Amino acid sequence: MRLIRAVSAELSKCLTLPGGRAGIAVAMLGSIALTVLNAMTARRALASGQPELIASASPFETAFAAMPLGTVGAVVLGVIAIGSEYTPNSPDAGGGRQIGTTLTALPQRIGLLSAKAVAVVLLVVGIAAVTLPVSIGVARLIVGEFAVESVSVAEAVVRCLGGTLYWTLTGLMALAITTLTRSATVPLIVLIMNNSLVSFSLLLTNLTSLAHWLPDLAGRRLFTGIDTVDGGLDAVPGAWVMAAWTVALLLVAGAVLRRRDA
Amino acid sequence: MTAPGLGSAVAAELDKLRTLPAMLLALAGTIVAGAALGSAFAAAAVAGRVALTATEATLATVPYLQAGMLVVGAWPFTHEYAGSQIRSTLAAMPRRPRLLVAKTIATLVAAGLTAAGTVAVTWAAGAITLRAHGIPEGDVGLGSLVGAVGYLLLMGLLAAGVALLVHHLVPTLVTTLSVVMIASPLLAAQSEHARWLPDRAAQQLYAATDAVLTPGTGSLVALGWVMAIGGIAALRFVRRDA
Repeated sequence: MRLIRAVSAELSKCLTLPGGRAGIAVAMLGSIALTVLNAMTARRALASGQPELIASASPFETAFAAMPLGTVGAVVLGVIAIGSEYTPNSPDAGGGRQIGTTLTALPQRIGLLSAKAVAVVLLVVGIAAVTLPVSIGVARLIVGEFAVESVSVAEAVVRCLGGTLYWTLTGLMALAITTLTRSATVPLIVLIMNNSLVSFSLLLTNLTSLAHWLPDLAGRRLFTGIDTVDGGLDAVPGAWVMAAWTVALLLVAGAVLRRRDA
Repeated sequence: MTAPGLGSAVAAELDKLRTLPAMLLALAGTIVAGAALGSAFAAAAVAGRVALTATEATLATVPYLQAGMLVVGAWPFTHEYAGSQIRSTLAAMPRRPRLLVAKTIATLVAAGLTAAGTVAVTWAAGAITLRAHGIPEGDVGLGSLVGAVGYLLLMGLLAAGVALLVHHLVPTLVTTLSVVMIASPLLAAQSEHARWLPDRAAQQLYAATDAVLTPGTGSLVALGWVMAIGGIAALRFVRRDA
């Protein structure tokens, strides 16, 4: 019961913070808007008989190309969920930090971190459950009769679930890292950059193949097709490696949060 | 009492930036990241037996280093909103347009120093790494290095414009990072119109690959974005309650 109340408190924080709403908007509206744009380009190219101009004629691939924006949304949610607790108020209102109030209301720190983690998972899975079907539907609608669907339904479901898992794990890692840094700036920069084409992890793969075991690269096969870098782990072992990173980071964050002064 | 002149306003703004620990951290962090990335690219090329000049290594680091520039550009326009300092500033300097001009000049100085320092250090780190492996650093190609400084400066200004609009660092970073790092490559893969995005257009300064935009027109397009965003933000700053 207590965990349920704590989770609903954390959910309402995330849903009412401007940053939380921004994260949700980036993931949902951003992905859908990008899909609309991509699908319109695809339709024009296919209608004019120039399929070589676009990456794929499949509406699923067209929608899936917007997946990295969802990752940004998950990062923002994970960072905001704990980062907002440490943001000082305006000096006119005492300059306090919300973490004091939160820990007064819920003194079990591990319970607090668990509640935040559950809230982030619920939000990210919720976003994926809305965004992915809507994006794919929109892409189908726009590309319309020119579409050549090369992805079977079973494969599409597996890849959607894989993408959702990647988003969720990324959100949880953002939560754990921000718990350690107690500030939103650095985790935001590092995590958003690492999900872009100019990722530090990707650069490290040029220096050592051990970099393929970093969480974001280990999990990238969950997307399949987005990232065409050779080498590294397959989807299933990669997902396990990424999940292990997430659990380890959350454990460290929990231990630190429990031992340290707020 | 008359309002301070532009000279003292710029001096005041530069003083604020000089004494802001977060600003110095961002500046130093960008330069250190440049050195690390410069030698990483050079080392990767040596390991992979790919021919690479120090200048090419430097240009390859620019997309990474722009993240630091976004922070450097955003700080001058956000740090005063972390508390109530903006009200003290406006009490001391009630002429808001003049304050904005002073802040912009101070930001240009800070971002220009960061960009030039970073590119110089990155090139040096790349050259030293190549030399350490007995490989000459190759042609300097000053033009593209200056272009890289210009690109980084424009990205700093873009963040400054967004920061003036939203007043806080975190939303500024989320917006600019998402556009520059995520949305722009995604759009570029799908549509040729992505060349009109600020970062794509400004890229012509150091990598002139576009069929339509030249370094000159590209930087003008990027500057147009900065002026449009900054102009709306400036209008609001001048007209509205602080």
